[in-house]
Amino acid sequence: MARTRRTETGEVPEAVSIRLAQQGDAAAFERLYRLHSRRVYSLCLRMVGNTAEAEDLTQEAFLQLFRKIATFRGESAFSTWLHRLAVNVVLMKLRKKSGKETSLEQVTEPDEESGTPRRDFGAIDLRLSGSLDRVNLQRAVDQLPPGYKAAFILHDVQGYEHNEIAEMLGCSIGNSKSQLHKARMRLRDLLQEVVREKAREERRAAGGSED
Amino acid sequence: MSVANCSAFLEQLDQWMEGERSPAAVAHLRSCKACGNLIADLDSIRDTAPSLAATDPEPSERVWSALRAQLQDEGLIHAAHPGVSDILKRWLRGTFLVLPRPVLAGAYLAALIAVGFVLSGSNGLRNDSNLWMSRMQRSTQPLSASLETEEGAISSMADTNPVVTASLRKSLAAIDNDIALCEKSVREEPQNEFVRDYLYEAYQQKADLIAQVTEGDEGQ
Repeated sequence: MARTRRTETGEVPEAVSIRLAQQGDAAAFERLYRLHSRRVYSLCLRMVGNTAEAEDLTQEAFLQLFRKIATFRGESAFSTWLHRLAVNVVLMKLRKKSGKETSLEQVTEPDEESGTPRRDFGAIDLRLSGSLDRVNLQRAVDQLPPGYKAAFILHDVQGYEHNEIAEMLGCSIGNSKSQLHKARMRLRDLLQEVVREKAREERRAAGGSED
Repeated sequence: MSVANCSAFLEQLDQWMEGERSPAAVAHLRSCKACGNLIADLDSIRDTAPSLAATDPEPSERVWSALRAQLQDEGLIHAAHPGVSDILKRWLRGTFLVLPRPVLAGAYLAALIAVGFVLSGSNGLRNDSNLWMSRMQRSTQPLSASLETEEGAISSMADTNPVVTASLRKSLAAIDNDIALCEKSVREEPQNEFVRDYLYEAYQQKADLIAQVTEGDEGQ
């Protein structure tokens, strides 16, 4: 007997849905999908920047999850497991696109290996305050390399802890922290460029010289 | 503040952002505007980031439709919840030829009716979790009481078909796990009707399984 009565407040606990999905319950599969699809889709969309591709990747991640759900024993959180699958699906896609290996390590530039920012102490310091909004930040995130982007989205946007991210990305906690730090530094550079461009436009509009 | 001190500060920037703040770093930040601006910017980025999630879009329905179709094609999902008992029915049928006739079916049926009665109780009762659980536990006492009989019935099968006995034990353990999980959920969320439905369903699965064993006995 499959009773699917739902109340205003009633939600089936995730553990119950997982157990039922392991028995092939279609409704349980759908509940798990509805519960996590938005986050997984957002991760895919931010990683690839294309809605059609992000939907395909979301479908692939859930397909892999449901094929393996009978083996889920709860050693890690269900969402961690799902996100790990999703990240792998995305990185695999990017790897195929670029025609070469795309790993978390393939994201740093030579002058960023140390993790310390480039600083010109003689330059005027541009503060982001006032110019930092959601739209500008999203544009900057879109320009991050995959590894930085994954760490930033999972930690700062979706709120996962470093130990969870390390499990999702298959790296150490230290590596997760390092990726996040570099991501923030790169974002600052990108956002400062936006501030500079805005200043140049204002000067042009005022009829002044660019330099 | 010298560049050397700024460099030293930048070396520990990731620790700073993780909340590990040495006295030397705090002292440096108090007197260095450039590093202060850097920290302010990084804080702004970190604080603005969660707002991106607020506008996260949903994937289109196409995704779930395609996924469901594929899962059905691969036989991973069934339109109706089959439960363990339904899976077992196929091979239980014709297999249990030598079982003693237990009174389990009657006991489980009685328990099921009692559980159903409690589940359909008044809202006032449902809102009082302790009272509800107390009634629920009383109503399921026949289940507990018949566990020994169930164990005896399964043991008597061991001589005839150890493979079937092992599978039956495994299936019963799975259903018992479901029941335990559902009971825990009911305790945590006594007002959640959906959870109670699943508890009822789990009891019914067990009753179905025991009834099937009885049917096998009748077929002797």
